[in-house]
Amino acid sequence: MQKYRYCLTIILLIYSASAFALPEITITIRDHLFYPSEVLVPSGQKIKLVFINQDPTPEEIDSFELNREKVVFGNAKANVYIGPLEEGEYHFFGEFHPSSAVGKVIVISPEAYANAY
Amino acid sequence: MISRQSLLIFAVTMLISGIAAAQERRSNNVVDKIYHPYVLPLEQEFEWRIMSRQNDEGNALVQRVSFGHSIDNRLTLQAYLVGDRDETDEFGLVAYELEARWMLTEQGKYFADWGALFEIEKEHQEDSWEFTTGILVEKEFGRSSVTSNYLMVYKFGNLVDNSFHSEFRLQYRYRFIPEIQPAIELYTAEDFVGLGPSFMGIHRFEAQKQIKWELGFIAGLNGDSKDHTLRASLEFEF
Repeated sequence: MQKYRYCLTIILLIYSASAFALPEITITIRDHLFYPSEVLVPSGQKIKLVFINQDPTPEEIDSFELNREKVVFGNAKANVYIGPLEEGEYHFFGEFHPSSAVGKVIVISPEAYANAY
Repeated sequence: MISRQSLLIFAVTMLISGIAAAQERRSNNVVDKIYHPYVLPLEQEFEWRIMSRQNDEGNALVQRVSFGHSIDNRLTLQAYLVGDRDETDEFGLVAYELEARWMLTEQGKYFADWGALFEIEKEHQEDSWEFTTGILVEKEFGRSSVTSNYLMVYKFGNLVDNSFHSEFRLQYRYRFIPEIQPAIELYTAEDFVGLGPSFMGIHRFEAQKQIKWELGFIAGLNGDSKDHTLRASLEFEF
């Protein structure tokens, strides 16, 4: 039994390792708009997008290009994990306010990202 | 980037699961739906599914209609009515089913995304039950996704011999455009191994209102002279 517990712990650590200390980018939802509406991220790296919804109503983040759907309740926050991504632009929008709540993730090379910051 | 070691672990896990499922040898209609390990709150849906299997024994037709509703961020419940065509070619209600899907990990947070499935099915007016549970795993590779379902099924009741078997389903999907996403699906269980193409897509109307469709044609590879299954489903989410 002890052996199985040990193996399970190792497996969980391996599978969980990628989630530790991910770079975070915060996007605020206010008046059904994203602030900022464009974010730069480095390619080839997993990123945690933290959506903080300051509106009282929920919003659903949707992106076919990022392959993500996530509901952010009103006056709450939610995390969306993306990547590793290739260089390019990946659009996302708010399903409940698709005409106003639009944004994009711009993926650039790690070198260009380092120079940008 | 995905490490070679991670890919190897994933491939070996899938292979072992598939072999384990294929070693169970009994008959059933296994071509059905491949479940994804994701749950969205505030979502409810109507679904219609059809499976038409043609083999040397004739044609088997099964249809399901269901209503599903998410309970919270990670759990969704779905209730089904199941109908099929009997030996006299009459189509009617044969079973009820309640299904729970539980999202175990956040999408994209770990190497792969994990979920669990629990289903209880009772035959209409008969003491015949089926309990299914299993693990749903999805891994994303750029625009491609690989989804696997490893399911264990226990049949029990006064009218059936209590028995246990397992099923394995695997889907490779390429996210071409939202409306058209081609895929390849593998089904193994009991005396059936099936492989074939499928297509799926999604069309959004407004807010959370969207329709999802799936169409697959699975050919049996288990030696029967003729064995193929057409499967289709429509989901309306709102």
